Amino acid sequence: MIVAGRSGGEGVRIVLEVEEAMLLSELADQVDSVLLLGEADDPALGRLLPNAYPDDASASQEFGRYTRESLVDGKRQAAQRVRDATAVADGDHGVVQIELDQSEAWGWLTFLTDLRLILAERVGIVEEDDDEADETRDDYLRAAYEWAGFVQGSMLEVLDPTDS
Amino acid sequence: MTSTLEQLDADTTTRNVSEQPWRTVVWDDPVNLMTYVTYVFRTYFGYPREVAERLMLQVHNEGRAVVASGNREAMERHVQAMHGYGLQATVSRGEP
Repeated sequence: MIVAGRSGGEGVRIVLEVEEAMLLSELADQVDSVLLLGEADDPALGRLLPNAYPDDASASQEFGRYTRESLVDGKRQAAQRVRDATAVADGDHGVVQIELDQSEAWGWLTFLTDLRLILAERVGIVEEDDDEADETRDDYLRAAYEWAGFVQGSMLEVLDPTDS
Repeated sequence: MTSTLEQLDADTTTRNVSEQPWRTVVWDDPVNLMTYVTYVFRTYFGYPREVAERLMLQVHNEGRAVVASGNREAMERHVQAMHGYGLQATVSRGEP
């Protein structure tokens, strides 16, 4: 995976190995499914759609009624765009090159965040540097979580470079 | 006499609370990258880098930060936007 600036424009260029593109496409499809099919009590959905009024049940319900649909739509759209951009045809080999302008890059950043929130919930990441849950963690999900963070961090280095 | 004083206290409390603006509070989350949170604050609120980084560090170190204050409708819009970015945010009145 390589993330670089775009020649002559804002945004990022992402180069993925075919296997990485397939993985990302699959994960994006799963995020879309969680948003579409997730049960109301799915804790992962709770991470994506937090309670805006933890101490006020009626205000919380009201807020959810006005915002939930558009939040879910926005998140699903971001996931679907990543899924489509990383779709690989059977027999493709080599690398997949993706160019994103600033606004498309935001879609990827928010998708990667939602993906990591879901994976964190599934593997039980509740505290930073928490090693106690190691044995119960699914290695595959854990690796995907770390990798998604690496992709996002690399994108941010290009999109929002700091002097230090 | 006593009941009058209590009444006065209650009135004062109510008035003070209603005068306090609403707040957008962002809470720490072990998942989100610090660079991401800073970039969201910079892009969405238009904060200069120093402000965005200070708020991000406050979220990280103290568990939460007030990132905006104002009327309730505006704070709800901000919180909805923060949820869109995947940040844990709540609307509160007065001290968070």
